[in-house]
Amino acid sequence: MNDLRARVAAIVERNRARLERRGERGSDPAAAADRNPLFATGSPRPGGRLPIARGPSVSVGSRPSLDSPFEVRERRISIDELGLEIVGRAAIDPVICAHLGLKGEAPDRWEDVLFLDTETTGLAGGTGTYVFLIGIARFADGELILRQHLLLDLAAEREFIAALKQEIEPFRACASYNGKTFDLPILRTRFVMTLRSEVTVDESHLDLLHPARRLWRDRFGSTTLRQLEESVLDDGRVTDIPGSLIPDAYFYYLRKRDPTIIAPVLEHNARDVISLVRITDRVARAVTAARAGRAPDHAPAAFALARIFERTGELEAAFACYESAYFDGRNDLRMKLALAFARHLERRAEVDRAIRMLETLLDLGLGSPPWRMQVESRLRRLSKKRWRQLATAN
Amino acid sequence: MRTAVRFPARVSLEQILDGLARDTEFQEMVTRWERIAARPARYAPFPEWLDGRIAAALRRRGITQLYSHQAAALESTRAKHHTVVVTPTASGKTLCYNLPVLDAIAKDPAARALYIFPTKALSQDQLIELERESTDMDIELKTYTYDGDTSPAVRAAIRSAGHVVITNPDMLHTGILPHHTKWVKLFENLHYVVLDELHTYRGVFGSHVANVLRRLRRICEFYGSHPVFICTSATIANPDELARRHIEEEVVVIDESGAPRGEKVLVFVNPPVVNRNLGVRRSALLTGRDIAATLLASGVQTIAFAKSRVQTELLLTYLRARFPQPQWPPELIRGYRGGYLPSERRAIERGLRDGSVRGVVSTNALELGIDIGALQAAVLLGYPGTVASTWQQMGRAGRREDLSAAFLVATSSPTDQYVVQHPEYVLDRSPEAGLVNPDNLHVLVQHLKCAAFEIPFEPRERFGTEDTPGVLSYLDEQGVLHEAGGKYHWSDQAFPAEAMSLRTATNDNVVIVDTTGPAPRTIGSEYHDGKARVIGEIDRFAAQVLLHEQAIYLHESKQFQVERLDWDNAKAYVREVKVDYYTQAELAVRVRVIDEFDRRAGQRGFDHAHGEVLVSTLTSLYKKLTMYTHENVGWGKINLPEQELQTTSFWLSLSERATAGWPKERIEVALAGLGNLLHGLSPLLLMCAPHDVGLAVEVRSPHTERPTIFLFDMTPGGIGFSERLFRSTDALLERAREHLDSCDCGTGCPSCVGPAYALGADVREAVADLLAMR
Repeated sequence: MNDLRARVAAIVERNRARLERRGERGSDPAAAADRNPLFATGSPRPGGRLPIARGPSVSVGSRPSLDSPFEVRERRISIDELGLEIVGRAAIDPVICAHLGLKGEAPDRWEDVLFLDTETTGLAGGTGTYVFLIGIARFADGELILRQHLLLDLAAEREFIAALKQEIEPFRACASYNGKTFDLPILRTRFVMTLRSEVTVDESHLDLLHPARRLWRDRFGSTTLRQLEESVLDDGRVTDIPGSLIPDAYFYYLRKRDPTIIAPVLEHNARDVISLVRITDRVARAVTAARAGRAPDHAPAAFALARIFERTGELEAAFACYESAYFDGRNDLRMKLALAFARHLERRAEVDRAIRMLETLLDLGLGSPPWRMQVESRLRRLSKKRWRQLATAN
Repeated sequence: MRTAVRFPARVSLEQILDGLARDTEFQEMVTRWERIAARPARYAPFPEWLDGRIAAALRRRGITQLYSHQAAALESTRAKHHTVVVTPTASGKTLCYNLPVLDAIAKDPAARALYIFPTKALSQDQLIELERESTDMDIELKTYTYDGDTSPAVRAAIRSAGHVVITNPDMLHTGILPHHTKWVKLFENLHYVVLDELHTYRGVFGSHVANVLRRLRRICEFYGSHPVFICTSATIANPDELARRHIEEEVVVIDESGAPRGEKVLVFVNPPVVNRNLGVRRSALLTGRDIAATLLASGVQTIAFAKSRVQTELLLTYLRARFPQPQWPPELIRGYRGGYLPSERRAIERGLRDGSVRGVVSTNALELGIDIGALQAAVLLGYPGTVASTWQQMGRAGRREDLSAAFLVATSSPTDQYVVQHPEYVLDRSPEAGLVNPDNLHVLVQHLKCAAFEIPFEPRERFGTEDTPGVLSYLDEQGVLHEAGGKYHWSDQAFPAEAMSLRTATNDNVVIVDTTGPAPRTIGSEYHDGKARVIGEIDRFAAQVLLHEQAIYLHESKQFQVERLDWDNAKAYVREVKVDYYTQAELAVRVRVIDEFDRRAGQRGFDHAHGEVLVSTLTSLYKKLTMYTHENVGWGKINLPEQELQTTSFWLSLSERATAGWPKERIEVALAGLGNLLHGLSPLLLMCAPHDVGLAVEVRSPHTERPTIFLFDMTPGGIGFSERLFRSTDALLERAREHLDSCDCGTGCPSCVGPAYALGADVREAVADLLAMR
């Protein structure tokens, strides 16, 4: 037995040494198990300007305890405090849902949408990746109720998932940030592993990642939730545990049972869910404003919205967005939208304007030869049309 | 079908064999001319319980009864016995598993089956076959291949709807088992697991596969299914043992084939010694070329098996030179090997079936059951390394009931010479055993981790070793697993299956990019688009020898020169050239002992030991050799980083007594010669391929401080060859002495201790002195 252990130890040790030489996963698991990943970069403190950190919100629940294998903590935050204008207030407009990237049937009320975000023991997925924390938020009575289910003992996963299932079962719609490819597949795996059961909460799914990308990627480069908090909500995180450290923090917690280890992860998750709600509101606001003729100032965002409106057949709003994007945009963006914009102008019987716009772009010497050929051919058609119009007018 | 192929003289195979039998020059090379008589078929009726639609469809196809072994397989699997069918090539093995599966699905549409094939190409064939059968039978059956080529878009459909999922062990390992929750329908209703070509699951690969199957069974248990395993295997000595090690339950072996067999002529050919002083025989390649050319010129559809990629290309070049265009159609002879793209290989397989391709030169890639129809003759350039492979390659000729012929042309390698001088090793003796060691700790621990990732471990579970709890608790201490509520849970961010390959240590391949530029479309190249194109890929270990800068790389008998090798990004940029030489890289090997497991002082003045070693290989220069005469016409330097291989090794060191009073030069020569001899013969003892074992010789090893010969596992981590060599050192030395005695060279040749001209005039004598030592 000792011999076997020694031989296994030698194999593990050598494999690790080899990986280290190759520069892969150089960490020593044994050492990692005894090192708090959080303290490597200094002790995190609660901070930032998130409403939940400011006080008036009610926090039910307690610090993680050792008595129960899992626990649920609840916070309530008023809609006003979150600064929401659309989400959680009016009835859901199905068209807004379409803009939000909804797949499936649109829910009737914001109260029917479950906002969720999971923390897992790894990013790879598969049956060995656990969901140990899930934050779920819903609207009720003018408040956002955020509940966090935290698994304190892997042996109790079944009970943990069963309790979660009971809570999310009434919902048929959810909102997430990249949940389609990440959170939901992993959750699905856990449901099968523990209960041999299906997940139905995402029959309708608003995955905010996609509309957020359309609106903001060109502007901010990245569209991580962290980036959007900073750039869109103007409310960046001062201290936060980096997502990449979360699995190790959890494993460390499982060994040490020290609640202060997991506290930053709970905070991280709470912020993620609340930011998800606020970002949803910002996307909805951008859409509503554009429909009312107030296209976003930022030309790429306006262009992105124009295309969405075009797809859903709201041509007036699409036109407003194209126009705004054309005026505010740089030449490369103008080239991208010129033909579509010209089509809208043509439809609105502003043929002269369309011709002037296209001629200007050509005069500037812009574009690749194929693009210029396309524009020239459109110009010829428009000119013919104009002559015909003049002829009939006479 | 192409019928425009015109042959100057259509001579029957019988006439060609007659001619060869009368050809005295040829007969001088023949060590054995064996005629195996035809055997009639043995039939059995369809079992009554077989679904009526299946029997009806078979009758429509002209099959009115089954071969006896097919019927036996049906009864055995119906009784829920794990079953191994061991019958020759082309005996209708496919039906042995397709019929039980079709019957199960006909009776219960929810039933599922998993087919595991060793290679991707094989599964393509099976898919077509099974779909044709089910369509005929009017049975709703969805068959899908699930492997690395399956597009993500259809994967979801396969997981829930596929009745039969066809995959390979690698995909099962990384793609299916770690994601078993996506395959609930499959695992809940899994009736049958088909393991085709069981004998290929031996050695390292087999040891990995046995562990993948352990994981598969664990998952089936989790979902409450108990599938019956149906295996097929080429003829090996221990199919029951091999299957039991894989399935870990009792198995029923069906090894009496009811299929008919045509008359077959087997010829063992030993090319003549052309230079007795140098101990050089005429090249097997050239001798094989002549035999193949004779057959091809008479219109006999022929397959030639070469042992390496380079040889495949050389032989193809030689044969094409014999059959120049435009008199002969260009696709008369094709090459077939691993580096070719799948579409190219499919086209060649089709050509062989419809007869438009008359000859094919292949590596062992075509040895397994890829459907290429019936060929009339097979020419084996060199002993394929195992008896099972020899029979499979020979079996490629003569699938029909008529006469066929197979020629085994020996090279001067020690195993080849042993086999050609003792043909009964192939013909008489029951062939060798397929060996696996699933409990090899290197392999086991990796799979134990994967298994823990898939489903947490219960403390009472046993995974291979009896000491599973010990390994689990160790991994818990290491933080890889986490014990909670008595179960061990995976507690690492990493995805354990991803980092490990079942075949080699690394999945790291070098991609070959042709930068020749715009070229006219030519027949036989389906992807000339005028831009840089990928023409193949090769693993790094082979790449250091084949794709170094300035190397001449052969592909479809075209010569390419490597212009740039981007080692870091694993890309070799090649350009087509026309030169009259090929290149050969020299590999320098260094061994460092990390851990000595065991050591014994031998009786013959040898100390032998085995243990863990680090082998460093470095290619530092290459030679240019002329195409036909193999003359050295130049050399160049290679600048590549050292490659490292961590493995197990057997080593043999000479005691001081053994070489007392010898001059240093003589010790050097004797050591090199003995190394060659032992390395050459070890495959016969280990039943592995010669390149599975590496050789390094050190006149003064830093570890033993004595002259030492290292025979190491070429597989990272090792698979137990070295331990087996350690335990049977005496047998190995005995065999070496016998072989040296019977070799008819005077002073040493490549078949025994190595050529005297290269090693030293007294090499044979020095080795004999060493071996005679008591």
